[in-house]
Amino acid sequence: MTHTPRKTARRAVIGGLLATAMVVVAGCSSGSAGAPEGGGVGTAKKPVTVRMIANEAFANQWQDLMVPEFNKKYPNIKVQIDGVPYAELLAKSMLDQTGAKPTYDVIIADDPWIPQLAQTGSLLDLKKDAKQWTEDDYDWDDFYAAPLAAGEWDGVQYGVPVRSNLLLMFTNKTLYKDAGVPVPTDKLTWDEFFEQAPKLVRDTNGDGKADVWATDTYFTRDSLTPTVWQTVLNSDGGQLLDKDNKPAFDNAEGVKALQTQIDMIEFAPPGASTHGFNESLEAFRQGKVASLFMWGSVFKGTAVDPKTTTLTPDQVGIQVMPVGDKMAGAHRGIWSAAVSSKSANPEAAWALTQWLSSKEGEVWQANELGVFPARKSTLASTPHAGSEWLAPVFTALAEGFQAAGDGEMWRPRLAESDAVQQILATETARATSGEVTAKEALKNAAAQIEKLLG
Amino acid sequence: MSIAVRSHRTQRRVGHQVRIWAGVIVCLLFLFPVLWMVMTSFKLPKDIFTVPPTIFFTPTIETYTSYLQYADVPQRMLNTVIVAFGASIVSIVAGAMAGYALARIRIKGAATLGVLILASRGVPPIALAVPMFLVARNLGLADTHIVLILAYCSFLIPYVMWLLRGFFVALPKELEEAAQLDGCSRMGAFFRIIVPISLPGIVSALIFSVILAWEELLFALVLTNNFATTIPVAVAGIAGDTVNGANWGALAAVGTLTVIPVVLFALLVQKWLIRGMAEGATKG
Amino acid sequence: MARLSSQTTTHPSRRRTQTIDLFSRWSFLTPATVILVAVLAYPIIYTVVISFSELSLATFSPSSWVGFDHYVDALSNPNFLNSILVTGIYLLFALPIQMLLGFGTAFLMNAEWKGRGVVRALFLIPMVVAPVVAGGIWRQLLDPLWGAVNWFIGLFGAPALDWLGDPTLAMITIVLIDTWRWTPFVALIAAAAMLSLPSDVFEAARIDGANWWQTLTKVTIPLLTPIIAATFVVRWLGAVKMFDIVLASTKGGPGQATNVVNLYIYEEAFRGLHFAEASAMSVIVLIITMVLTAVFLRASNKLEEKF
Repeated sequence: MTHTPRKTARRAVIGGLLATAMVVVAGCSSGSAGAPEGGGVGTAKKPVTVRMIANEAFANQWQDLMVPEFNKKYPNIKVQIDGVPYAELLAKSMLDQTGAKPTYDVIIADDPWIPQLAQTGSLLDLKKDAKQWTEDDYDWDDFYAAPLAAGEWDGVQYGVPVRSNLLLMFTNKTLYKDAGVPVPTDKLTWDEFFEQAPKLVRDTNGDGKADVWATDTYFTRDSLTPTVWQTVLNSDGGQLLDKDNKPAFDNAEGVKALQTQIDMIEFAPPGASTHGFNESLEAFRQGKVASLFMWGSVFKGTAVDPKTTTLTPDQVGIQVMPVGDKMAGAHRGIWSAAVSSKSANPEAAWALTQWLSSKEGEVWQANELGVFPARKSTLASTPHAGSEWLAPVFTALAEGFQAAGDGEMWRPRLAESDAVQQILATETARATSGEVTAKEALKNAAAQIEKLLG
Repeated sequence: MSIAVRSHRTQRRVGHQVRIWAGVIVCLLFLFPVLWMVMTSFKLPKDIFTVPPTIFFTPTIETYTSYLQYADVPQRMLNTVIVAFGASIVSIVAGAMAGYALARIRIKGAATLGVLILASRGVPPIALAVPMFLVARNLGLADTHIVLILAYCSFLIPYVMWLLRGFFVALPKELEEAAQLDGCSRMGAFFRIIVPISLPGIVSALIFSVILAWEELLFALVLTNNFATTIPVAVAGIAGDTVNGANWGALAAVGTLTVIPVVLFALLVQKWLIRGMAEGATKG
Repeated sequence: MARLSSQTTTHPSRRRTQTIDLFSRWSFLTPATVILVAVLAYPIIYTVVISFSELSLATFSPSSWVGFDHYVDALSNPNFLNSILVTGIYLLFALPIQMLLGFGTAFLMNAEWKGRGVVRALFLIPMVVAPVVAGGIWRQLLDPLWGAVNWFIGLFGAPALDWLGDPTLAMITIVLIDTWRWTPFVALIAAAAMLSLPSDVFEAARIDGANWWQTLTKVTIPLLTPIIAATFVVRWLGAVKMFDIVLASTKGGPGQATNVVNLYIYEEAFRGLHFAEASAMSVIVLIITMVLTAVFLRASNKLEEKF
C-alpha cells in the first residue's frame, strides 16, 4: 500500500463530507413565502394575535401602556411584544425573519437597519400591499420627509416612523450663566463652541481642581460614536459616502470633523475617552458638564424626572447641534415599524403600525409616553397639560428634521450599514484614545469600507 | 479545651487562627464590589453617580418594587432555575460517567474522544449559537427550556468530565478491585463506591455547573424570545436601555436578587463537602 | 447493537463476554457522547462549511463556495490579529494569578471553624453576578470622576487614575476583574480536592518529621497534580472564551487595547452580520485552541506520570 491512493481516498472522503454538509445546510433552510392569508382584524369570537419584536428599552412600556390604548380601537387584536437588547435586536430580527414561518408579524427596526431587513425579501410594501387596509385619513404627506425616509429603501416604503429621535445638543443653562458665557442658541457655531469651552471648565469649590467641564458625548468604541463627527461633516456639507457608495470622508473635511470630536475630550471630564451613552448622560444629569451631544429621547429622564436627574426643565436647553460651514447639525435616528410579508395576520399587524404612526396615535404617544413624533401636525400642536416640557423639544425636533433632511444627516442607506458603522466605530475609538491620528484612522476606515462594499 | 503545654501545639493553634482570619479577610476583599452592588440597589438613579460617592443616603426599595413588576422577574427567575438545574443535573451524570471512563477504564480510542470533546470547547460560542437556533427553529423547539438545557449541556459536560477525571485519577486503585471481588458490575461499583467517595468533587462540579448556567447570556439571548428567557437576558436589556440610560439601581437590584438563590444552594450542599469520605474506604 | 441482539449460541461464549464487556466499558462514555454529538455536530459542520462560502442572509445558508478567501481576509486583518495578541497577553497574566490565588485561598478557607461554610459560600458570589452587572459595577468603582476607588486613593493624595482610558491600565483592569470573578472557581475545586486527600498520608509525613514545606512539595502537590491540571485546563478553556466582562467594562477599548478575540468575533458575527467571515475566524481560533489544549494535556499527562 503506497501513500498516494490512501491520501487521495481520504481527500475524496473529506471533500464528499463537506459537499454533503453543504447540501444538508442548504437543504435545512428552504421555505417558500406564499401569499399571506389575511386573518382580518379579528372578531370577538376569533381574536387574532400579533407578535412584535422591539427594543427591550421600550418593549415593556408599550406592552403595559400602549397596547391597552390600541385595544380601545381594535379590541380583537391581541398584541404580544418581545423585547431584545438594542445591540442584538437586528441580528435577532434577521434570524427570525429569514425562517419559513417567522415568529414576528411586526419588526421594530432602527434607522440604518431597514435596507438590511428589506433585502431578505421579508417585509411588506406598505404603500402597495397594505393599501387595501389603509384608512383614508392616513396622511402620508404629513410626515417630515427625513423620518419617513428612514423606512424607505430602493423606492419602496417598508416602514413607518413610530419612535423618532435626533442627535441634538443639550445645555445646562445654569453652568453657562455661572461661567459668564452666553447661553447657546441654535445659531451657535462650532468655532464659538470651542472658543467658550475653556471658560466652562471650572473649579467651583476652590480646591484647586476642576470639577465642572464644558462638554461630554460618545467617545468609546460604539457604533453610535461616529455619528457625532459624521454630523459635523454633514453640517460642513460633506458626506460619508458618495453617490457610488465609495468612502468620501478620507479627506481634509473628514479629518476636520473627526478632529472636532477628538478635541472635545480636552474639555470633557477625566476618563471621558471611555464615555459612551450612559456615562456622558450621567455626567450631564449630575450637573458636571455644561453641554452634551446626545439623542433627544433622553430629555424626559434628564430634565423632568426627579428620580433620575438632579436638573430641572428650566435649567436644560435642547437645540440642534452647532452650525458648521453650511448649516446646523442633527443626526437622524428613527425607529420604524415594518410588517413581515410572511405574517399570517398582515392586516392586524398593519392596523397596529398604522395606528401607532397615525395622527391620533402620535399625539397620544407624545403626550402620554413622551415619545417623539414624526408628523408636521403633531410637532405643530400644543402639548397637553402636564406635558408642557414637550414644547421646546417639539421646536428642536422640527428644526432638526429639516436640517437632517437638507443635509442628508443619517447613516449609510445600505444593507451593509451596520458593518460600515462597526468599522467606523473601531477606527473612531482608536483616534479618540490617541492610538492613531484622525488622518490615519480615516484612511484605515476608508480602506476597509471600500473593501467591504467592493 | 485542655491547657496546651507543648509549644509547637500553641504555635499550630496560632497558625490556625491566622489561617482563619486571613481567609475571612480575603473573602471580604473579594466581596467589596458585591457590597457596592447591594448598596447601589437601594439608591435612586440620581444618587448613584455622585461625586464624591454617596456612602450615607436614604435607602429606597423602589428599585426592587418598581422593577420586579416591570420586567417579569419572577417568570424569568423560574426559567433560570429550571434551565440551570436541568442542565447541571444532566451534565453531572453524563460528565461523571465519562470522566470515570477516561480516568479508569481502558477503552481503545477513549482518550482521543476525550480530547475531541474537550477541544470542542474552543469554538467561539456565537459560532455555535446561530446554527443551534436554526436547528431549534426547524424542530419547532426555539424558545423552549429543553433547547437551552441541551445547549448548556454542550459546554458543561466537557468541563464536568475533565474536572471529575482529575478527581477519579487520584483515587486509590484498590477500590474497584475490591468491588469487582464483591461481584459488583462496573456500573454498580461506580455508583455504589466511587460516587459516594468522590462527593466533594462531584458537589463542587455541581455548584460550578449551576453557576455557569445561571449567568450564561449568549445562548439564552439567541435561543429564546420570551417564554424561556432567563434573568441574564433581562439584565442585558436594562443595561442596554437606549431610551433613558441604564438604570443602575434596577441592575444592582436584579443582580442582588439573582445571587441569593445560588448562595443558598451552595450553603445547602456544603454538607457534602466534608473530609473523610476517602478514608476508611480503603481500610475496610 | 443489532449484532448484540441477534446473537446465537453458535458464537463462542468467550467472544460474547468480550462483547458484553466492551459494551459495559463504552456505556460509560455513551450518554456524554450522544448528547454532545446531537447538540454540537451540526453547528460545528455548519460553521466549517460557512467559513468556506458566501452566506446568503436571506436564508442563512451558504450561497457559493469561495475556498480560503475568508481565511486569507481574517489573517490579513490587523484588528483580528491584534485581538489574538490581546487575548494572549490577558491569558498569560490572568491564568497563573488565578491558579495561585485560588489554591492559596482554598487552603486558607479550609481551616476548620464554625463559619467556614458561610465564608466559602459567600466567596462564590463574584462568579454568580451576571457579567453585565459585574462589569458595570467595576466601571463605576474605577471611574475617574465618580469612582470610589479613585476617591479612596485620592484621600492619600494620589492622583485619580484613568483605569479604563489608559491601554496598560485597562488591560490590568480586565485581568483584575477576571481574577475577581474566577478565582472563586479555582478555590471551589481546590477546596474539594484538598478535602479528598487521604489524611493518613499526612499522618505518616508528620511521623517522619517532615516540615510544612516538605509536606507541601513532597506530599500535597504530587497528590493534587491531576486536579491542578484539570482545573487549569477547564479555566483555560473558559478564559479563551471570555468576552462578556470586556464588553461590559471597557467595550474592548481604549482603542483596541482590550479587544479580545471572542469579542471581536462576536461583534463581527452578531453586530456586523458577517457570519461567514466570523466562522472562518472561529475555525482559526478553534485550531489555535486545540493545539494549545493538546500541549497542556501532554504536559499534564507527563506530570501525572512523574508523580
